[in-house]
Amino acid sequence: MSKGVLVNLTKCIGCGGCTVACKMYNDNKWVDDRSPSSGENAQLADENWTVVKQFKLFKNDDTQVWRFVKHQCLHCQSPSCVSACFARAFQKTDEGAVVYFPDNCVGCRYCMIACPFKVPKFEWQTPIPVVTKCVMCYGRLKDGKSPACVSVCPEGVMKFGERESLLREAKETIANDSRYVKHIYGEEEAGGTSWIYISDVPFEKIGFNTNVVKKPLPSYTSFYMKCTPIFGAIWVIILTAFYFITKRRNTIKKQSAELSYKKTTENNSDQNQNLPENKIVDKKIE
Amino acid sequence: MVFELGEENSDLSGAGGCEPCQVDESEGDSGAESVEVSRRGFLKLAGFGAAVGATVGVSGGCDADLGLVAKNPSGGGGWLPDQYNASGNFPVQVRGRVPIDPTNPSIKRDDQKCILCGQCVEVCSKVETVMHNYELPLIDDIPCVCCGQCTLWCPTGAISEVDDTHLLMRAIEDPNLHVVIQTAPSTRVALGEEFGLPVGTNVEGCQVAALNRIGVDKIFDTNFSADLTIMEEGTELVKRITGEIKTPLPQLTSCCPGWVKFCEYFYPDLIPHLSSAKSPMTMLGAMIKTYYAEKSNIDPKKIFSVAIMPCTAKKFEAIRPEMNHSGIKNGDPTIRDIDLVLTTRELAKLIKRVGLDFVNLPPMKYDSLLSEYSGAGAIFGVTGGVMEAAVRTAYHLLAGEPPKSLLNLEPVRGLAGVKEAKLNIPNVGDVKIAVVSGLHNSHKILERIRNGSGDWHFVEFMACPGGCISGGGQPRSAVPPSDAVRSARINSLYSADEKSTIRLSHENHEIKTIYKDYLGKPNGELPHELLHTHYTDRSKHLTAKIKKTGSEEK
Ligand code: SF4
Ligand code: SF4
Ligand code: SF4
Ligand code: SF4
Repeated sequence: MSKGVLVNLTKCIGCGGCTVACKMYNDNKWVDDRSPSSGENAQLADENWTVVKQFKLFKNDDTQVWRFVKHQCLHCQSPSCVSACFARAFQKTDEGAVVYFPDNCVGCRYCMIACPFKVPKFEWQTPIPVVTKCVMCYGRLKDGKSPACVSVCPEGVMKFGERESLLREAKETIANDSRYVKHIYGEEEAGGTSWIYISDVPFEKIGFNTNVVKKPLPSYTSFYMKCTPIFGAIWVIILTAFYFITKRRNTIKKQSAELSYKKTTENNSDQNQNLPENKIVDKKIE
Repeated sequence: MVFELGEENSDLSGAGGCEPCQVDESEGDSGAESVEVSRRGFLKLAGFGAAVGATVGVSGGCDADLGLVAKNPSGGGGWLPDQYNASGNFPVQVRGRVPIDPTNPSIKRDDQKCILCGQCVEVCSKVETVMHNYELPLIDDIPCVCCGQCTLWCPTGAISEVDDTHLLMRAIEDPNLHVVIQTAPSTRVALGEEFGLPVGTNVEGCQVAALNRIGVDKIFDTNFSADLTIMEEGTELVKRITGEIKTPLPQLTSCCPGWVKFCEYFYPDLIPHLSSAKSPMTMLGAMIKTYYAEKSNIDPKKIFSVAIMPCTAKKFEAIRPEMNHSGIKNGDPTIRDIDLVLTTRELAKLIKRVGLDFVNLPPMKYDSLLSEYSGAGAIFGVTGGVMEAAVRTAYHLLAGEPPKSLLNLEPVRGLAGVKEAKLNIPNVGDVKIAVVSGLHNSHKILERIRNGSGDWHFVEFMACPGGCISGGGQPRSAVPPSDAVRSARINSLYSADEKSTIRLSHENHEIKTIYKDYLGKPNGELPHELLHTHYTDRSKHLTAKIKKTGSEEK
């Protein structure tokens, strides 16, 4: 049931409409003076959840080609950001989107280190900063709508659908058209991503991290990170146990003190403890 | 906390608060000691429960907490136009926006104003057939013919002309520069709209006066060089028809830079059909830095040549590398025929910024030498106008008599996208002509020329529907442009033609003088050096879609 998006990079004309759609739908500010959302210097930023970056490169021989690459969160199948976040600010939904709950975020920024694609960004400019990233327009996704950027693209660069069928389609496309690089980026990268890419120029030439391991990344970190809450729980249990032990010890101490008191005052009448007397004794002790 | 451990129970029992406490209290004689212990125990219990709950929640014990623990996932705080809000993954009919290269000399976009309405895509792909008319992937260009129609359709003004007004002001303030300006045929029937005048009002005299007040040194009229273009282009046509030159028929007009770039992109094989004559703007530019410079003894290097145009594509034309004919003639190829192009809208902006009371300016006349014009030159800005003007002079050249019957060439007038006519010219016979405006109308004609089935002699193309009067640099008096606005401007130019005493380009006195004193014969050696050009095959920068002939038009 997991949704995905197939991005066919050969069709992108660099209009930047998708970046506008993202800003409009998510009410993000324009910060082109510090981080352009399109062009050769485009870069993801706290307010740029998606960007379209231009690459001028040489294909095969010496013919120059321009390519435009839309970049956003890839919505990993096994997201490192989710497993890195012990506050559960990141969560992978059934629909495939990796969403973010700013209310949960403690600002530790582990997610930013964990993400193999350097997607989550921090609001360095804000007084109470949180992390930000593309959430695949989860609000639209829930209603069966495609993400904002997908819906506005005039060239149909992105196709929204079931990840499995998109993967099939991508495989068919690259098998039947010799122009395509024989690789689907995101099929296996980081254990597979919901957004997958096909291209006619090598991915490493257009800014993709091709050194990402195929194994789901969280499998490295998740054991430790998953331990964090359990560790917390164990800690609570231990402390509680300490508390009870201490309490018990005090009670025993008290009781033995009582006993010795009684023994000395009432001559071994240990079976005849009565509450009123105890109370009096306790009060005296206090 | 609600409980104050040290306090006694009066308020608690009254409030009927917490069960365990009340139960404890109701035991009455168990006393203060017992109550205190019990409260403490409860709190400990509650604290422990909370800790466990939090732990379970945090460790992801149950996924249901997605909605419980955190209610507000980020994103979705804004809006999208309604066409994008339907459920399901259906394609949206009108969507997206045109791509604009940041180095585009003609148009630019302010992303913050774009609302993704899709209007620019509509006009670019359906009216101008540029976007969506090439195969993807792109090669090394974002194809754009710079026509600027998208600036007229964009409802928010996100797309606009590249604003170069500051360059004019800088030149005017520079004491070393002699600023010479020319104004196109169409700007005078639209500029007034920016100042509240009725659509189509002819403000020729006020425009000159405004430019004079702004501080330019000389003001010439591009109408003059429209006549000059007719002399060169008409002569070329006659030579093609009589077989004197071996370039193919039909001859295609070359004054519209949007059309020329379109031809270079999509029909490079038809480049030999393009008239080698330059456009009126670049012809006048060349004359200003040669003929005028010599006549008035000014160093052409110090002349700053500006053109006020109804057209954004003229900004592109001005920077075409080959447009330095006056520079080559003067022995310094860095001298450009045109240094700056401002659109009608930019001029209006400038006049408003300077604060001139435009409508009440006493009208002024253009400077003489390069400003006289015939009615033929005046109608250059109308679809069919170049054709009509050329026919008048070509008729004279071919038949040796004035073209009385052809003075109002009705078949090529009006807003139809394709107009055709057959003229009987003495000594030649039937001459077939066609007029096209709006580039989507061009394919049918061009495909027929390509496959040899078109037997026209001369075809006029203008990229903008209705011609330059509705060019991409004109005031946005209707968004998107309406035929009512186009017609009003067109009628205004035709009435200028009718009012003029001279209606044939070759009868223009200043034209006669310039050929006698300077240029020699039309299509002669010097005219070829200064007034003719060549074109560039741009097809390697895109993959044109194969057009199915005849599918464009009903
Ligand atoms: S791309 Fe980065 S931010 Fe997005 S889901 Fe994967 S790990 Fe998380
Ligand atoms: S909207 Fe489509 S064509 Fe335009 S930049 Fe985005 S992906 Fe590319
Ligand atoms: S200027 Fe003309 S060709 Fe260029 S994007 Fe606008 S409408 Fe299209
Ligand atoms: S017409 Fe203007 S507002 Fe509409 S999509 Fe194009 S640029 Fe954006």
